[in-house]
Amino acid sequence: MTTNNESRPSVTSALSLAGLCAGFDDPVQQSQQVFRRALTALSEPGTLQTVPVSDAPERINIASYQLCLALLDAETPLWIAPPLRTDALVSALRFHCGCRIVDQPEQAEFALTSPDFDDDLSQFAQGSHEYPDRSTTLIVQVESLDATANWTLSGPGIDGMRKVGIAGLDARWPAMLSDNRRRFPCGVDLLFTAGTGLMGLPRTTRVEI
Amino acid sequence: MTTASLNQHTDTRADNTGYNFAYLDEQTKRMIRRCLLKAVAVPGYQVPFGGREMPLPYGWGTGGMQVTATVIGSDDALKVIDQGADDTTNAVSIRRFFARTAGVVTTESTSEASVIQTRHRIPETPLSSGQILVYQVPIPEPLRFIEPRETETRKMHALQEYGVMHVKLYEDIARFGHIATTYAYPVKVNGHYVMDPSPIPKFDNPKMHGSPALQLFGAGREKRIYAIPPFTRVESLDFEDHPFEIQGWDQTCEFCGSDHSFLDEVVTDDEGGRIFICSDTDYCNQRLNTGASKEAV
Repeated sequence: MTTNNESRPSVTSALSLAGLCAGFDDPVQQSQQVFRRALTALSEPGTLQTVPVSDAPERINIASYQLCLALLDAETPLWIAPPLRTDALVSALRFHCGCRIVDQPEQAEFALTSPDFDDDLSQFAQGSHEYPDRSTTLIVQVESLDATANWTLSGPGIDGMRKVGIAGLDARWPAMLSDNRRRFPCGVDLLFTAGTGLMGLPRTTRVEI
Repeated sequence: MTTASLNQHTDTRADNTGYNFAYLDEQTKRMIRRCLLKAVAVPGYQVPFGGREMPLPYGWGTGGMQVTATVIGSDDALKVIDQGADDTTNAVSIRRFFARTAGVVTTESTSEASVIQTRHRIPETPLSSGQILVYQVPIPEPLRFIEPRETETRKMHALQEYGVMHVKLYEDIARFGHIATTYAYPVKVNGHYVMDPSPIPKFDNPKMHGSPALQLFGAGREKRIYAIPPFTRVESLDFEDHPFEIQGWDQTCEFCGSDHSFLDEVVTDDEGGRIFICSDTDYCNQRLNTGASKEAV
């Protein structure tokens, strides 16, 4: 047993516990509260949800971090965009969630990224027509979620239409989102975060500018 | 570190039942939560989930209970109905279960509840934004009685090959002159997936369309979860010359005189005596409290 552990790198060996970012004080209640906001965010796209203030690793929004704490565990491979992939974040997620960090976006059930990643949304798992649920859920860190409203959303979860202003998305995004919607029932689902703010954009939402 | 986190877990327990908050362990809740997020993202699609054994038999709402246990928080108010009634065995025991394991407030009032678990009815009082309606589902696959193979029904949903469902409804018309399906009447969600609305009477189908409340469906034995987000298009399948219609009654409720709610027929003696009463007990009581009566109509 001991010999085995020594012969292969164990999860704890690379973990730096010094300065580890704290997780939830009360994992049961706080996970439920964050999940309910994520559920509302994805079932009512474009509504701004907020999570309470807490610690978060550097470069990571509080809302992104709390989503990870609430939803990730050993069953959920996570892809982190290289610019966000700090030791502080990886250590915190491995300690609190025990999730596997994967190198390929298409292997990931969840992805944590900024909006300026290379390639487009089709590099993530899209699910299949038989199993559209097997697609990546993206947590995308943006500058602001209450900027000047320049997008009009419509679709399930929206009574008529809803105006939103998401700042920090480059010019590729409208086309990427419309391609994503066209792939229905396949496609990825997005949770945008800024600070403690959280907004959902599932694959069913139509975006018009 | 270990002692501290153990103490925190003790603090979050509702009482000394020895169970985690709302019975399910956190690993299971996270798994179901991830399924729920995918379910609202693909409205009407049945997401497979690792259904757990619950401390009551399949058929008593194990799927609905797992969904409720996963979404409910300590600030929620829970209502549970069984065929519209708050006071029948299934409703009472599930309500007590969550009062005990989660310590949540329970209510019989539709408007005061934030989470409503239901067996086979949608309340008569219109639901509002922010409420969650959790359905107990026995057979989630609407095509199952037509095509028993799961691999095939998956393909049929993927290709939207729903002709057989229309044939089934047409056979009703050929035999009876009208569509004789009265409950679990198939619906199409957001123009894509055909979905089983659970065995609610077709009287309730129109309430699903554009509802401001979030609707979640849990099937425990079949291990499927599906959802309808608020303000989503839900159409009952029909034909141009045989449009969808809901049931109506010549009678009114014996207690409150309602002529627009779903009525249950109750046999009162062995000489053919029968009365009709509202199936939604909370709605009937509300009307009685505001002075409505059979005589007043």
